[in-house]
Amino acid sequence: MTEELKTKLEKLDTEYSQKIAACADSAALQDLQVAVLGRKGALTELLKNLKDMPLEDKKIFGPLSNDLKNKLTAAFEARQSALETAQINAELSKTDMDLTLPARTFDKGRRHPLSVAQKRMTDILARMGFVWADGPFIEDEEHNFDLLNIPKNHPARDVQDTFFIKNTQKQDFVLRTHTSGVQVRTMKKQNPPIRIIAPGRVYRSDSIDATHSPVFHQIEGLYVDKNISLADLKRDLTVFMQGLFGKGAQVRFRPSFFPFTEPSVEVDVSCVFCAGQNAACGVCKGTGWKEMLGAGIVHPNVLRNCGIDPEEYSGYAFGMGMERLAMFSLNIKDIRAFYENDARVLEQF
Amino acid sequence: MKILYSWLKDYLDLNLCAAELEKKFTALGIETAEIKNTGADFEGVHAARIEKIERHPNADKLSLVTLATKDGQRCVVCGAKNLVQGDIVPLARAGARLGKNKLEAAEIRGVVSKGMICSSDELGLTNTRQKGIMVLDKNTPVGQDIAALYGRADIVFDLEIPSNRPDLLSHLGVARELGILLNLPLKQPDYKARQGSGPTLKINLEAGPEGCARYIGRTIKNVKNTQSPPWLSERLAAMGVNPKNALVDITNYILYDIGHPLHAFDADRLESGEINVRWAAEGEAFTGLDGINRVLTAQTLVIADGKKPVALAGVLGGRADSIGQDTKNVFLEAAWFWPPAINKTAKKIGISTEASQRFERGVDIESCAKAMELATKLITEICGGEISQVNDVYPAKYHPAVINFKPADIAKILGMDIGEERLKQIFTQLAAKFEIQGDNWVFTAPSYRRDLTHKWDLAEEAARYNGLDNLAAGEIRSTQAALYFAENPKSVDIGERLAGNLVSLGFFECRNFDFVSLKDINTFGFDAKNTPEIKNPLAEGMQFMRPALLVSLLKNIEYNQRQSRADLSLFEYGKTFALHKGYPQESCTIAGAATGLTPRTKFFGAAQNPVDFYYIKGAVEFLLEGFGNIALKSSANAPVFMHPKICMDIIIEGKICGVLGKIHPLAAKAYDIKTDVWAFEFAVKPLERQFDAQKFKAARDVNIYPSSRRDLSVLIDKTVKFENVRAVIAQAAPAAVCALVDLYQGAGVPENKKSITLRFEFSAPDRTLTDKEINAQVETVLSSLQNRLGAALR
Repeated sequence: MTEELKTKLEKLDTEYSQKIAACADSAALQDLQVAVLGRKGALTELLKNLKDMPLEDKKIFGPLSNDLKNKLTAAFEARQSALETAQINAELSKTDMDLTLPARTFDKGRRHPLSVAQKRMTDILARMGFVWADGPFIEDEEHNFDLLNIPKNHPARDVQDTFFIKNTQKQDFVLRTHTSGVQVRTMKKQNPPIRIIAPGRVYRSDSIDATHSPVFHQIEGLYVDKNISLADLKRDLTVFMQGLFGKGAQVRFRPSFFPFTEPSVEVDVSCVFCAGQNAACGVCKGTGWKEMLGAGIVHPNVLRNCGIDPEEYSGYAFGMGMERLAMFSLNIKDIRAFYENDARVLEQF
Repeated sequence: MKILYSWLKDYLDLNLCAAELEKKFTALGIETAEIKNTGADFEGVHAARIEKIERHPNADKLSLVTLATKDGQRCVVCGAKNLVQGDIVPLARAGARLGKNKLEAAEIRGVVSKGMICSSDELGLTNTRQKGIMVLDKNTPVGQDIAALYGRADIVFDLEIPSNRPDLLSHLGVARELGILLNLPLKQPDYKARQGSGPTLKINLEAGPEGCARYIGRTIKNVKNTQSPPWLSERLAAMGVNPKNALVDITNYILYDIGHPLHAFDADRLESGEINVRWAAEGEAFTGLDGINRVLTAQTLVIADGKKPVALAGVLGGRADSIGQDTKNVFLEAAWFWPPAINKTAKKIGISTEASQRFERGVDIESCAKAMELATKLITEICGGEISQVNDVYPAKYHPAVINFKPADIAKILGMDIGEERLKQIFTQLAAKFEIQGDNWVFTAPSYRRDLTHKWDLAEEAARYNGLDNLAAGEIRSTQAALYFAENPKSVDIGERLAGNLVSLGFFECRNFDFVSLKDINTFGFDAKNTPEIKNPLAEGMQFMRPALLVSLLKNIEYNQRQSRADLSLFEYGKTFALHKGYPQESCTIAGAATGLTPRTKFFGAAQNPVDFYYIKGAVEFLLEGFGNIALKSSANAPVFMHPKICMDIIIEGKICGVLGKIHPLAAKAYDIKTDVWAFEFAVKPLERQFDAQKFKAARDVNIYPSSRRDLSVLIDKTVKFENVRAVIAQAAPAAVCALVDLYQGAGVPENKKSITLRFEFSAPDRTLTDKEINAQVETVLSSLQNRLGAALR
């Protein structure tokens, strides 16, 4: 009895192992599985006899038939998985897609190049500890001129340079000609130490050409504390320019004159395009230097005008044209490009 | 200001080349606009006439040229192609010097050439560069010394003098400046006072010190006004001034030499023996040296004789009393006029002269006497004559600033220690008087440096003369880190966020001038009276400060459409302007305008959506997402520039702050835009409170219980607005999330009805809702819609 059943199990094993291995399609494999492991399958039928067997035989036959069931189940799963993989591979090999067609393009929005430049500059200055301050664009003459040590008869106060507002009633107002008014406004309401930047729009009554615009942007910087010197200015501007133009950037001071600083300097930055190595460089004209901004030690009269004692405190101030810096670093040749808002230009930044 | 190298050498032992000198000027803060070589750097070159041109027997490209010279005919070999018989050309003979080279007779291909016909290059006359040999004027006599036509070789620097340094508007001034930088002694000119005899004119300073603070006069009798000697006329020519006669040339020369403008009158033409400096009488007539008749006003300062104005003080001489060839007796003026008086006079008359430019910026009051003595010396040397005593009217003597300081003050301002020795050297050379009293240094400013008034000025001078290049960047100090915390202005942070949102939607940022025209103001329906207006606009149409950013954006759309760009989504973040009770008001504003197709993912063959109302509405909702207390409501009164029926108010914290919708077709037309434009504009200041509140928003827990979805289609009157539907639902099922998934009118739906399909999501935070609960909620919604809006289930 036992031997007979054993032989039957061995036969089933051999028969179905061969059939599974030979089966080439999923549906036939299912049928085969039902035929041996299904409710009326060949192995299931054999197992039905189990309950009538003597305990001795059960002990031998039980594990044997279970092993076979597990073995066949695993074989079906393996075969099923192999068939699926083969089918997927067959489909993949049929794929023939033109991968070189143009991609879906994303219409990306753009910040204005001046916003891009401004953010670069203000990010660096913010990391250097400058905080942002602002003031009105339509400024009174007191803050735009008087408190900045610019006397009444100074040529900067002429209609050639300054836009005047005519229909205000209470006071004389101008379109601010620089961001320096923010210096005064800040110093009047805050005691040193003060370290601010004031980026923003300014206005000069210049006719429009490739390098002049009646509307342009400046970044003003001011640092007032005890013992602030011209050397501190040079250090901080060097750090700033290195942030903007790379570690190799150098700063050069030349003497200059502004009513609100004393000493006053003109600040040049080493040419990032040729590093002074190209005599025919179109950017620095072969000099190796590019004039970037004006700066200096805050004039004692300006400090006094704001209620700060120049014997106790000192400060430096600088003011730079954002367009000039943006033109230099983005190689934009005509300042008008910033205000035409031509989409073909805007989409480049 | 033109500066001649040779002239500087009168004052300093300079041995720098032009390029080195330019660097020194740069270091001093003086920019060099141009460097030019002038004059002739050659000798022994004379004019000759070409008589005969023959082929060189041994060379195709050379000619044998026979020339008529000052001492007979001469034959030379020449390779130039522009030889023409009869032309007058410069001929350098053996022995002539061209620059550093000496010319020798040479044999060229078997023919001895007894000289060389020169090109302008070979003569170093770069200003008259011609191709080939230089051809002289036909009337140049044979034998003319060519060098004499061009004067001595020199270098002319065209310098840009800083506006606060009138003392540099002369050769003396520039030399003095270089001398301190280079630590070279200055050779002073001969100012020795000459004692004359006899009186000169009586001088009356009626205008007072706010017209003229010093006036020196002297008469020189029996002069012989001749041509100036070559050294003088050559220098003036190099300065770009045509030499006239010795008396005039000498006054001009002194202006460029020491910077003090002088004036010479023909003494015989002055009436009644006195000079008065006064303001002109209203309507007084005056004819200037330029021949123009002028009617003067009380704003002009004049020099008058006993009867009439004879000069506009410090600006222009008069014709009637001007120096001529025949002048015998001359009255010489060396004065100091108050700068604003000269500025006023020159402006009133509308002219600017070398003299007025100097007086306006301020000349040295102490150089009046020096200029007078220098002129006296030159006039008597060149024109002879007998000099009178001087009449020096100088009522209130000028007291220069005296600055007390410590050397440590200078180091503190500059952040560098120049060293006491160098400081002493600089200040000794710079000062009128410099004393050291122990620790205290006392600096008396020279009269020509009125700009030096305190120690900060001296710090600047010390840094400059020591070389700003020598200033090292300061050490990094502990205060480099943040000094204190301060927020960015809210307008900056909000602007960054709004701009970032719009960029992520595909909008391009624009930046525009703030200037708009009256037509713009009217088109947009603003009141010009309440809009800041510029008194001196650059052009008609640029006189108002824009009351709305959309004015500019419409112009940007028109501009880009002309460049064949049809799909545009643009925005600007900036200020708008108004007047409130006579004071200007500025408001940070954001505006956007879109036309054509929406920006999105593009792929060939795939359709893109056109911009429409719901797009711009979505853009605004996207922009303001996260800011609480915001509402959009159909406008009861749309602004003039918006479509009256397609416009919504943007309401922030209960206040209307802007609009969104369609641009009025007439407004679009006013800017030549033929497409529909969808736009928004609103003030951002009202967002500030919400912006702050949002920073501390608590995160919402994600609901872990599944939600159930139900769709509901109802028929409803066409006129019912969706906001009413939404309001009813919000009340009936406050916890449900509701979305509109379909809106249909047409076949199958009655004429006056529309079909709307709503999708609901029901959920609870603490359990999974049962079907029964959900059905009850749907029932509530449906009955509310039926009862309140007359809706029917479809």
